Amino acid sequence: MSYITIEGLHKKFGETTVLTEIDMRIEKGEFITLLGPSGCGKSTILRILAGLTDSSAGVIQIDGKNMIGVEPKERQVGMVFQSYALFPNMTVYENVAFGLRMQKVASAEIDKRVQEMLAIVNLTEKANFYPKELSGGQQQRVALARAVIVRPKVLLLDEPLSALDAQIRKKLQVDLRNIQQQLGMTMILVTHDQEEAMAISDRIFVMNNGMIAQNGTPTEIYTSPKSEFVANFIGHYNVFTRQALEKMVGTTLPVKGEKFAIRPEAIHLEQKQGDIAITGVAQHSLMSGNVIRTTFEGESVFLMEQLHQRKHNVAIGQKYTCYVAKEDVVALS
Amino acid sequence: MKKRSFADLFFLLFVVYIVLPVVATMLYAFADKWNKTILPEGLTLKWVMTLFQDPAFMQAFGRSVLLASGAVIIALLVIVPAIFVIVLYFPKYEKWIQAAVVMVYSFPGIILAVGLIRVYSKFGISMILVVLGAYVISILPYIYQGTRNSLRNVDARQLLDAAQLLGASKMQAFTKILLPTVYPGLFAGALLSFSVLFGEFVLINLVVGSRFETVQIYLMKKLSTSGHIASAVVFVYIVLMGVLTFIIAKVTKKTKGATNV
Repeated sequence: MSYITIEGLHKKFGETTVLTEIDMRIEKGEFITLLGPSGCGKSTILRILAGLTDSSAGVIQIDGKNMIGVEPKERQVGMVFQSYALFPNMTVYENVAFGLRMQKVASAEIDKRVQEMLAIVNLTEKANFYPKELSGGQQQRVALARAVIVRPKVLLLDEPLSALDAQIRKKLQVDLRNIQQQLGMTMILVTHDQEEAMAISDRIFVMNNGMIAQNGTPTEIYTSPKSEFVANFIGHYNVFTRQALEKMVGTTLPVKGEKFAIRPEAIHLEQKQGDIAITGVAQHSLMSGNVIRTTFEGESVFLMEQLHQRKHNVAIGQKYTCYVAKEDVVALS
Repeated sequence: MKKRSFADLFFLLFVVYIVLPVVATMLYAFADKWNKTILPEGLTLKWVMTLFQDPAFMQAFGRSVLLASGAVIIALLVIVPAIFVIVLYFPKYEKWIQAAVVMVYSFPGIILAVGLIRVYSKFGISMILVVLGAYVISILPYIYQGTRNSLRNVDARQLLDAAQLLGASKMQAFTKILLPTVYPGLFAGALLSFSVLFGEFVLINLVVGSRFETVQIYLMKKLSTSGHIASAVVFVYIVLMGVLTFIIAKVTKKTKGATNV
């Protein structure tokens, strides 16, 4: 049996269905990400797991115990909120110690554990500061320390990094993953940022319209999207109908399926044995640091991503033949 | 430059218009003799001393404090939890509180007094209690605004959720997190309510009358007997309001953690 089991979870708000037939199995110590656009129901799953929102139907078990009807404080579930939800009337130290005080842990033990936790999140010197005296990144680390210190069975992270700027977000992603591995804690992160999901997860559940569109490791999700939605959501995939792709390559495709996806970085200018050739005129290029994205227009429009090197430079307005390996043409359901 | 001096002049006139009666009244409370001169001919503390030596004033002062603070305490115990529950869990009912707030402002005291007398006089309830009840309702706007504004500054619902997930009961989350967070706004609202009720005259005079002499009724009586004593009452009242205003300003500027996160 899995550490966390969600079976047939449904949720309706009034007449609106927000979750349909959610099934998830999560093992102890896994870092799971729920990835999807705004309003797809991912935060609702977290709130139901935490006991802050009731489900309409379904089974939820954590560590073998049925959670339906169990009060939030009895679930041993921690949560880090997008807006941090730090207690404004308490210092950093008091915020982090709050959960242990509620558990009536001895003062000496509280002090020891809070100091340890503040050291882990690198905030020892800010112990006596109030939340409003800290930066966003520091506040988020306090929120993380406060949730982790009570050693919950699972830690839920509701878009915890989305309010931070890119540089701090990237650093905190690494910190988060390190802390998770250091403590061996099961964590479920909600995000709409596919790069973030790819960077820190063991497994990703991609969600759309209250349903799970696909789940798998970041590599599985990225290299083998099962649907057009997943292909579009996790990258800049080129999606073609069979007819359009066959017209582009000038031959019948030997694989089944009506729609196909090709990763933009799988398209290249150097021919390798067995590659499919597609032609198009370079329309425009977009440089984003180490990567150049070029849009071509031939029988269909397609995007090519190459490393930012001189040999990959293309002249706008010129016709090119690009190549893609057969195994990089992914059939979508 | 010309515009500036006009603005300064109007501001000066405005300040004189507002401050002069207050200064004159306060001076009169300390004036020994003030008949045919612009300023008092001499200053004395005898009117203020006489006032504080008058047991009737001390009793009236005590009654006013008791009535105003009693109404504020009841309002805090009854209205504040109700506002919390409505704002956090039943926001769709908030419009009813807002309607009640408007009604409190819109009812003139005389109408309220007549209504209270007609409804409650036949039940044999002490009219002082009836006034106390009316006072509790009349300060709803101040208590509501104070609480609501403080709750707006923080995501109160998420703070409650966070506290509960850390093992707090709803009551612990309320007393340890929400109450200290909204305390400055609540305290300011309570002091404001107290000062408004302390100066209330219409209801207590019409519904209870001189049977229960408060500072305001004492003041009205003294107006016809001694202008100096009446001025001394006003002086005490203004000092008290000044102290309350100072405390409200201090509390709302409170720097320690709470609010605006």
